Amino acid sequence: MSTITPELARLLEHPAIWRGRSAARTEVLPTGFAALDECLPGKGWPRTGLIEILVSRFGIGELYVLLPALAALTRRSAARWCVWIAPPLEPFAPTLAAHGMALERVLVVRADRPLWSFEQTLGSGASDVAMAWARSPRAREIRRLQLAAERGKTLGVLFRPQRAARESSPAALRIALEPMTQGVRVTFLKSRGGGRGSIELSWAPGWSMARG
Amino acid sequence: MRPRVIQQEGERQIDERPSRTGTDGLAASIPGTVSVPAHAPVPASGPARARTGRLTPLKPGALWRFPGASSVVSTELWVGVHLCESTSGGDGLERLAVRAQRFTPRISLVPPDGLVLEVKGSLHLFKGVEGLSRALANECVSMGLKPQLALAPTPLAALVAARVGKPFVVMDMARLVGQLTPLSLMALRWPQETLERLALMGVRTIGQALRLPRAGFARRFGTEQLAILDRLTGRNPDLRARFHDRERFRRRRELTYELENHDAILAALAPLLADLGKFLEARQCGVMELECLLGHRHAPPTSCVLRLATPLADVCRLTELLGERLNVLALPEPARTCELRSSSLVSRVLSSNHIWQPGEHGGGAGAEAPELIERLRARLGPEAVYGLQVLPGHRPENTWGATEPVEVRRQRGASGQKRAAHEVAVHAPWPAFRRPTWLLPAPKLLSVRDGLPRRRGPLRLLGEPERIETGWWDGGDIARDYYTAVDIHGVRLWIFRERNPPHRWYLHGVFG
Repeated sequence: MSTITPELARLLEHPAIWRGRSAARTEVLPTGFAALDECLPGKGWPRTGLIEILVSRFGIGELYVLLPALAALTRRSAARWCVWIAPPLEPFAPTLAAHGMALERVLVVRADRPLWSFEQTLGSGASDVAMAWARSPRAREIRRLQLAAERGKTLGVLFRPQRAARESSPAALRIALEPMTQGVRVTFLKSRGGGRGSIELSWAPGWSMARG
Repeated sequence: MRPRVIQQEGERQIDERPSRTGTDGLAASIPGTVSVPAHAPVPASGPARARTGRLTPLKPGALWRFPGASSVVSTELWVGVHLCESTSGGDGLERLAVRAQRFTPRISLVPPDGLVLEVKGSLHLFKGVEGLSRALANECVSMGLKPQLALAPTPLAALVAARVGKPFVVMDMARLVGQLTPLSLMALRWPQETLERLALMGVRTIGQALRLPRAGFARRFGTEQLAILDRLTGRNPDLRARFHDRERFRRRRELTYELENHDAILAALAPLLADLGKFLEARQCGVMELECLLGHRHAPPTSCVLRLATPLADVCRLTELLGERLNVLALPEPARTCELRSSSLVSRVLSSNHIWQPGEHGGGAGAEAPELIERLRARLGPEAVYGLQVLPGHRPENTWGATEPVEVRRQRGASGQKRAAHEVAVHAPWPAFRRPTWLLPAPKLLSVRDGLPRRRGPLRLLGEPERIETGWWDGGDIARDYYTAVDIHGVRLWIFRERNPPHRWYLHGVFG
């Protein structure tokens, strides 16, 4: 059954049809890393939906993985907010600007219980991307966040500790990061239509200089 | 071109005029009618304007007939509202006037129970007379008032007809007097003594009164009553003080029960908020700040202030935001009264909708952006939501600052945009990787073993230190050598060593 007529092929191109191994045709955002783009469904971060990034420790480089995409998003002409919800420390504005982010699109929200703010932000449609640092959200709450992100056409990024890898999650994409000397190892835990296994990303000093 | 008929008002002129007209005695005692073309300026008052036009002599038998009435199309249409019994306190009339401003800006109060609205220009917006009457009646009923409505080309006729309470819709001047004829004189609310004397003469309706000779009527019953009849039939203009309501909203409500539950208090505030919505809609304005005062039995009133990022007039959103504020409010005692106060009003610019949804193609951040900030701030407090900016500074902790989000700044001042444009063009003098992406609120002291810093294990220093030595001129001088260090978990840290004794080590930032 490997013969696909042109009519069927055209039908299968519909974005609502998702087939097991093939990449879903969704709107994506280049990550800024060619190796990472190759492994993600649609060759980039999804523009809509919730992704989970599991880290062994805060600060191992999870923000560097996202920064090129954040910079590209905030510098668009019709950019919406880039919201940071309950970050553990203060985002250092000069560095973000040096990485090319447009700071006037950045919004920081301090909240004791970040999930409510996260859901409001995702569902409001006022932000392009919202990142939240939450301790231990339950699967039901993550499902709610995923629905809110789809409603608001927003990319939600949830940072969680590594031990959450054992729990199931309704997020569209889950990756785990481990530190290396000059970069991170990215392991794909769940990726609709994307690759499996792990890749290594390295930031040679200077990969973002060209953007600066 | 439509001739506009200008007539004199005031009793004095009735007595002054005759000698100039030079017509026979009886007609001369009648105020003349002056016709001026529509383009001529309308004289406000005074005897001078009487001389500018042509006088139309009136025959005694046709005293009250409107001169040239058949050719005159009324330029005004008034709705008279008579409130039968006011069930919601003494300010019902004023509150109705506030709400009725959505029909027309020309509203006059006739205390204690009357209201007249000029609606000629807004008829087409409400599907004609029926639609407007229905909408107005619904407005009254929703406030717990029982209205009687009538439409007529003059305000007094509309009001009098409304008092009578029978269906009364007269669109043009020519039919007005005829329709007024059967109405009882009682509706004019003349002094009881005057009405009794008229009744003795067999005069009980407006029509009968209008048929009386003017001179005799003025002599027997006073010129005041004559002037009222003139205004009733549109012979003289009826100038009324226009209703202007207060430009700040402030309304108070006594609660029937003492309330402690936040939801119950919010429900008690709902009618006040509904009034606020109408108040704002009538002015095409929004509020930037709204204060809710809750009065208690003993304790001083609790104040709950809602600050908004953009002028807001939407009752649903105001209710939602106020609910968020009330949720975090601690009440010393149950609330007995509640009061809403607005700050001064801000005119609202209504923008058209975009073709694209935000996030699609060309769709930018729309109305949702300030809405999101308001909602977050309402629950978390105003300082919990902020933007970032780069400040000119030399100490790392002084090179950034929290700022008002840009959307909010644009509303408050145009200078925000310039600043925002400036911020885009920030070029750091150092490579992006030399500085961390995270900064600790304050440097954190690190433990030291063998002269080397530790944090959950020994730290490995990478590369050359960066010396930051600055601020000696303003007392906040620092002298630090910054290193990049890696801890045992692979986290890269930004740490520094004081150049001055005791050479302590501090953690100041985290990379990545």
